[in-house]
Amino acid sequence: MTFKPDPQTFASSIKEVSFGPEGAAVTFGGSNVLPFYAFDAPIAHKPLVGIEISDKGPDRELPALAAFYDGANTLSEIAARACTAPGADFLSLKLEGADPNGDNMPSDEAAALAKEVADASVLPLLVQGVDNVDKDAELLPKVAEALQGKNAILMSAKEENYKGIAVAAVTAYGQKIGAESAVDINLAKQLNVLIAQMGIQQGNYVMHLGNSAAGYGFEYLASTIERVKIAALSQNDDALQPPAVTPVAGDAWSVKESLVSEADFPEWGPREQRGIEMEISTAAACLASGSDAVILRHPSSVETIAKLIAELV
Amino acid sequence: MDKFIIIGERIHCISPVIKEALANRDEAPILERAKAQLDSGATYLDLNIGPAERDGEELMQWGVKLLQENFDNVPLALDTANQKAIVAGIEVYNRSKGKPIINSADAGDRLDNIRLAAENDAIVIALCSKQGVPRDNEERMQYCQEMLEYGMGLGLDESDMWFDPLTLVIKGMQEKQVEFLEFIRQLSDMGLMSVAGLSNASNGMPKEVRPTVDSVLTAMAIECGLSAAILNPNDKHLMDVVKTAEVILNRTLYADSYLEL
Repeated sequence: MTFKPDPQTFASSIKEVSFGPEGAAVTFGGSNVLPFYAFDAPIAHKPLVGIEISDKGPDRELPALAAFYDGANTLSEIAARACTAPGADFLSLKLEGADPNGDNMPSDEAAALAKEVADASVLPLLVQGVDNVDKDAELLPKVAEALQGKNAILMSAKEENYKGIAVAAVTAYGQKIGAESAVDINLAKQLNVLIAQMGIQQGNYVMHLGNSAAGYGFEYLASTIERVKIAALSQNDDALQPPAVTPVAGDAWSVKESLVSEADFPEWGPREQRGIEMEISTAAACLASGSDAVILRHPSSVETIAKLIAELV
Repeated sequence: MDKFIIIGERIHCISPVIKEALANRDEAPILERAKAQLDSGATYLDLNIGPAERDGEELMQWGVKLLQENFDNVPLALDTANQKAIVAGIEVYNRSKGKPIINSADAGDRLDNIRLAAENDAIVIALCSKQGVPRDNEERMQYCQEMLEYGMGLGLDESDMWFDPLTLVIKGMQEKQVEFLEFIRQLSDMGLMSVAGLSNASNGMPKEVRPTVDSVLTAMAIECGLSAAILNPNDKHLMDVVKTAEVILNRTLYADSYLEL
């Protein structure tokens, strides 16, 4: 008996989002099949891989990471170097120094740093929030203003602060935003509804559905991403159709496996390799669940995940 | 289970405003009602031009073009006893948003409308009755089978026949309501599409009672598997009930603003 394929395609699709300045923009989303189901229908755009840098610079205690960023000392140099990582589709900036629980750098200064990074980067830019709704509400509009013409994605528009961020970033300065909810499928939809009700059109926002490292309550995140994707496609729910961006690096490098020293746990091997493996396993699972983009810190993780995507799409 | 399909009933020649607008080819009142219904969640619009024996063909074409050109090729149910008018309407109908629905056929005098659907690649609403009210569900099923066989014999896909169990007025036929719901369940179990004009059930009741009756019956019918209904999408209470039923049946994801969508 011959095999007769029965493709499972959907009448609806994930919305496309393009970001980055003219001539250097990338587009993602657009697919009408489940993640990597390229046998059902061609995948419109492959999932993207972002490389994350921080205004505090790379962790130079990790030998391979230090070697990659060797000679790159200013933030501009670090940004330019990150863009050379094989497989990186976009640059992701974490403005750690602006965190009110840390150095609490003024928003104007942080926005100026974002501008420096954007100017030094040949890749489209995404800026992450500082995980503080009040600071993000102040910081992200300033970043939006500083990045005029860069068509960047500004993450972390949450239920508490989305209005100001949406107005400043999208309406006033033509940037894109990320609607962030914390592993809550109903809130994810609600936030998109609220953003749409402000007159922000599809194509101008992505979803950030939460983050977690593999092994750390990760199944909640994976099932949330998966359920969002299935409802977006099978129920043609346009309030769930923006592409999903999942920042993986922060969690992957904050868990015990990536932090404890080799001296304390010799049987676990080198710390850097463990961190890379946490990033890779988490990112691969996010992509399989339906993330349209992941953000990683280590160039080795970026390269591996980019290769995985290239093989599957 | 697919989402519940709403066919907006408000462009109907029984309404004096619409009757006059149709007669005078007055666009404004028709467009106004069309917009109101689409804004409130109608997927299809019913275009009832009455018997239209004199100028039905020209009138239907005018109505189809008016609605589709103004509302992004909105899919329509062409509702008239005049077969020529239906064919004329289909001639100018744009299918990009869905096939036309012929409203309606039955197992008796109007059986021929099933042939019309088959010949024109249309959907047909098939009333499970022949003469008057079916006695019981056995009779309903017999008509359903007759029409199904007839349609499929003509090459009509079974998913293009939407069976109407015939809604019965509660005041006077209260004892028939459970059977009505059971028949919807039978159609659903057979994998057939079903459609009903549910507001008939509250005919003759006081105005203040009707919305409650209509919405409760609608919720019960949806639970039984009803695929579509011809109703008034501008009845907010009724639409809220439909949306809530969809949430409870897990066909649409809950969000706090779900009633605004």
